Amino acid sequence: MDPDVIDIKEKQLYPMQRYPIDGQVFKSLVEAGLTWLRTNQQIVNSLNVFPVPDGDTGTNMVLTMQAAFDEIANFPEHNLGKLMHHLAHGALMGARGNSGVILSQLWRGFAHALDNFEALDGRLLVNALHQGRNTAYRGVVRPVEGTILTVAKDIAAEAELSLEETQDPYDILQRIVTAADISVSNTPELLAVLKDAGVVDAGGKGLYFILEGMLRYVKGQPLDVNLTAIQTLSAMKLENVFDRIEPGQDYEVVVDFRPINGLNIPQFYEELQHIGTSIQIGEGDGIFRMHIHVASDNLYAPIEYTKTIGVVTKAAIENLRAQMEQADYDSGKSLQFTSVEPGQIATVAVAPGLGIARVFASLGVSAIVEGGQTMNPSTQEIMDAFENLPTDQIFILPNNKNIILAAQAVAQLTVKHVTVIPTHSVPQGMAAMMRLIPTGNPEAVATDMKSVIDDVETGEITTATRSVEIDGVDVIQGQIISLLNGKLVLASDNLNTATLGLLEKAHADNYELITLFYGIDVSRMEVDAIADVIRKEYPKQEIEVQEGGQPHYQFIISIE
Amino acid sequence: MNNDYFQLGRVTVSPRAIATIAYHAARQSYGVVGLTSKNLMEGITQVIVKDPTHGIEVKYDSENITIDIYVIIEYGTRIKSVASSVSNTVKYQVEKALGMPVDQVNVHVRGLRVSDMD
Repeated sequence: MDPDVIDIKEKQLYPMQRYPIDGQVFKSLVEAGLTWLRTNQQIVNSLNVFPVPDGDTGTNMVLTMQAAFDEIANFPEHNLGKLMHHLAHGALMGARGNSGVILSQLWRGFAHALDNFEALDGRLLVNALHQGRNTAYRGVVRPVEGTILTVAKDIAAEAELSLEETQDPYDILQRIVTAADISVSNTPELLAVLKDAGVVDAGGKGLYFILEGMLRYVKGQPLDVNLTAIQTLSAMKLENVFDRIEPGQDYEVVVDFRPINGLNIPQFYEELQHIGTSIQIGEGDGIFRMHIHVASDNLYAPIEYTKTIGVVTKAAIENLRAQMEQADYDSGKSLQFTSVEPGQIATVAVAPGLGIARVFASLGVSAIVEGGQTMNPSTQEIMDAFENLPTDQIFILPNNKNIILAAQAVAQLTVKHVTVIPTHSVPQGMAAMMRLIPTGNPEAVATDMKSVIDDVETGEITTATRSVEIDGVDVIQGQIISLLNGKLVLASDNLNTATLGLLEKAHADNYELITLFYGIDVSRMEVDAIADVIRKEYPKQEIEVQEGGQPHYQFIISIE
Repeated sequence: MNNDYFQLGRVTVSPRAIATIAYHAARQSYGVVGLTSKNLMEGITQVIVKDPTHGIEVKYDSENITIDIYVIIEYGTRIKSVASSVSNTVKYQVEKALGMPVDQVNVHVRGLRVSDMD
């Protein structure tokens, strides 16, 4: 190989060993694929079309990949074939949901092709992709095109083609990532349900993220930064209809066991039918796996019974009812952003928590960037949030003193016309949003928005991370501190005193509305108790309580 | 069954029609390589049937529809996951076509098909 070429490539890399691609190198690639998939998990989840309670595709694929990786995580083997055998086994045992099962089959075929090989080369990679594809297709009588299967097929075909030009596995990887991308975006053309819902296939997208993660790792790009956290979900028709679980199906119990004297399957079924419903039995490598749904008072019966006929190697119990509640809870989480027309003003708000993001969404922002105190978003992240919006008039609400600079830097980097409304806090941002007129003259609207920033008082309650004396207030580490418009006004020993003290300092009795955004560190019960006290103390003011979801800050309080 | 009263008369859907919907839904489920008759004895359950009413049993009493499916699954897939996606898909497709709730979908894994890897 030309030495110059190597030189250029080396510069792009993390200090990773590139060749030979043995078991350990491939392990890093798998980990990268998993990490990137996890980073983009919610995007994949948001592509679900069928309202079936099978869990979300992204989550299922992450869990499957995680199980596969766990199997090899502490495995020092350099022989690629041996390592892959374990990986495939892990994927099989951990396969969740439809796409997880297909993914496990892709790995199974992939691993089979690499049996007994020390390291990966181009031809081997092509073979393995081909085998993965074949194994996956064997699992279904009538393959539905426009799914992860199609993407796997297109990848294998592209890999085959690329062999004519290169033997380098990394070059082939580059090409199949591109092919996967194209294939994924083509899925709606092949499958009408996708087209109707205005989405691409979730499983295919997941597979793409796994491959892209590997490529990003090779190129030395970060894997834990979500590049597309800002999705215009409003463009999608998402349905989140979950079915209720029936009585008697409170828990899912899965028991792995090795029968002592062989297993009499009909009798086993017969016995299990007295215990619960949805009975399934699996077999692999001498181990049986029994799956059953039981009522809560019968929770341990499947395990007790299995113990009488064999050696239980593993048992897992999942609370279906709680899962269902979680699913209901999660389904309410997707944000609905306001869409903009070309020429209109689109607003991007930085929000430290989901609840706050939701309030901003309801106030009419077109994109949200996650961030706040101690987690300032980068200039790039802010820019990514609005680059795809169909207008070139962008307003940014940094909602934090420390983010204003990053927001202003964005203006230098984009061709769009960016105006930063220098909001120092979430309440200021919300006050400014009230004045937004998307169709108005940008300069006039900006002036108007800026003018109301100071009309609102911002209170913040957090826990002191060190002992200090600022603004004449002595603080001991661990105390609850109250900040009014960014200034420390009070240190106290409990949340109640901190909140009430803050309101007093802010002369809340001269205002009309007090809104409490509570963070992830306080329970709703605590919040309600405090809100009741505030209502008694300030009977003339309206008190609102909203889930803010921000970290570190127990409360962000808006007083207006 | 399934009496929807229209102004002009009654629409009835036979269990066989429901079975056909379920049959196609099940066959499209990943991991299912075929359906098999529930009546055959152990040992010859691997015979894959083409007639939907053999691999699928539809029961109903006034309001409740229960569907039993007898499937053969590809060896090497996670049976639990495949079976649960079969029952989800069948329930979804039948309910979509019928507009009536399906009470239960029971998936009976009657066998595994071992494919040659090479």
